[in-house]
Amino acid sequence: MTTPTVLPDRAVAAAGAAASPGGPGRPGRFALFGRLRYLYISPAVVFVAVLLYLPFVWTAYLSLTTYDGLGSAEFTGLDNYVRMFHDEALLTSIRNTLLWVVGTTVLPVGLGLLVAVLSYDLKGGGWFRLPFLLPYAMSGAGLGLIWGFILQPDGMANQVLTFFGMPGGDTEFLQDGPRNTIAMIVVWAWQQLGVNMLLFVVGLQSIPRAPIEAARIDGASGWRMFRHVIWPLMRPLTTVVFGLALVASLKTFDIVWVMTQGGPGRTSETLAVTMYRDVFVADDYGYGSAVAVLLTTITGLASYVYLRRQAGREEG
Amino acid sequence: MRARRLNGTVRRGVLVVLGLAWLFPTYLIVANAVRPATEYDATDAVRPPTSMGLFDNISEAWERTAVGQTLFSTALYAVVAPLLAVLVGALAGYAIVVLRLRHGFAWFVVIFAGTVVPFQMLLVPLFIGYSKVSLYDNRLGLILVYTAINVPLAALVMRNFFGNMAVSIYEAARMDGASTFRIFWRIYVPLSASALAAVFILEFTYVWNDLLFGLTLSQTETVRPVWAELSALTTDVYAGTPVPIALAAGLVVSLPTVVLFLATQRLFTRGLTLAQF
Repeated sequence: MTTPTVLPDRAVAAAGAAASPGGPGRPGRFALFGRLRYLYISPAVVFVAVLLYLPFVWTAYLSLTTYDGLGSAEFTGLDNYVRMFHDEALLTSIRNTLLWVVGTTVLPVGLGLLVAVLSYDLKGGGWFRLPFLLPYAMSGAGLGLIWGFILQPDGMANQVLTFFGMPGGDTEFLQDGPRNTIAMIVVWAWQQLGVNMLLFVVGLQSIPRAPIEAARIDGASGWRMFRHVIWPLMRPLTTVVFGLALVASLKTFDIVWVMTQGGPGRTSETLAVTMYRDVFVADDYGYGSAVAVLLTTITGLASYVYLRRQAGREEG
Repeated sequence: MRARRLNGTVRRGVLVVLGLAWLFPTYLIVANAVRPATEYDATDAVRPPTSMGLFDNISEAWERTAVGQTLFSTALYAVVAPLLAVLVGALAGYAIVVLRLRHGFAWFVVIFAGTVVPFQMLLVPLFIGYSKVSLYDNRLGLILVYTAINVPLAALVMRNFFGNMAVSIYEAARMDGASTFRIFWRIYVPLSASALAAVFILEFTYVWNDLLFGLTLSQTETVRPVWAELSALTTDVYAGTPVPIALAAGLVVSLPTVVLFLATQRLFTRGLTLAQF
């Protein structure tokens, strides 16, 4: 790993250096401009340093304190983290977050892949895909607002079930955990299928035709074609789409906050909602910060493990 | 040949069935947003509306909530912050790729790693810090945050895009005596218009749809973005907002991003995948 030859910018730099020895890469002809170049990158660095990294470090520090927003923070070491083990609401929240992770990586990504594979080379495939795209552009908050109304006990969802003579017309979708979380995951899947499908369609349409034609001549079709030819070719893209869904699901906030505010009785909270509630409802800044650190750790670990595993497979 | 045709029929069948299932909630939402508020009856929500109440519902929503005012703020944030982020990101990409900043890749990692930070890690310090420097409940404060969270993506895409452009462009322009900034502004920015637009659209949508920062960093109706305002409707619903009015408000506010997204699907997915590779 000492020679990262694959890094594209190194490759570009190398190509540039080869093309013009003594070019702007070395302080030579353009030495005068050497310092000025930092002016171009400094706005970006200042923005991320002041508004992303500084708060990040600050939150990490606050997680080791007891602080109610008034006066000054009192250093209490790992107390907040110890407290987590006895916090029922937090444990429920972790379970719900895991449900979100499983639900969103399986439902919208899986169904999105299915719709993409079924439609990508059909004539008029765009029209078949339109129904799935319409919900996507709606925001998480808009989705929560609208579905909050639909899923009320006397709301439309129950009326529709009754209308079609189906059982469960008096379901209280948002009342008890974990049913409320599952209901919201289904709503989320309804919305998110579109973007996953779109990413897969773009991937499918850009895979090379030659191997597919060759396999077709060899008599492959349907499932076998998909399993042995198409699927391996789109592995890198699938890695990205799954990874995106995984990380996003860990941070679920908008839809839950708007639909249930994590309730009733904290039964539908996710870690992001728990954090928000601890800080801005309970004024428990230190503990809320600790929950944020926990969420960050989980997200970081999940990404790391996922990418490691994927990288291992690509090589193996 | 026949097997393939059959295959196509089955595929279309599955797609139509799934598609109808997906369209049905959309229908419910639209039908009941159009229905006059006085005619709404949950037991009868499936029935198509018999008269057009959409515009009355919208104006009613405008009267009941601060949706008008907050919508203006949202539009301001969603245009200004991504413009700034795209500019700042492009400058960074230019410095790294074209000007060959020393340790360019390390600088890039510093900027891009910003996307890894979950926003929950930002909320408390931003809230406290903003209160101290009177950026809390201030439009400038929200614009700064929205810009900061969008800089890493812009820097990534623009770095990749500039990396694919010939180095000789820069060298030729230098030979002709153009200044570094002039080359950036007059050559690199126009040539990368498509990538800049893709990033702008992605980030516009992101800021438009934001709830978290609006909820955390603003309070008054003149500063608060629209979703922070509308999200309160679900809690006040039992205070009597009729369902069609909430649905109509939700639809209208979603409309710009829906239209933008449907109109620029290609660009949109290219933007998303550009960010990945």
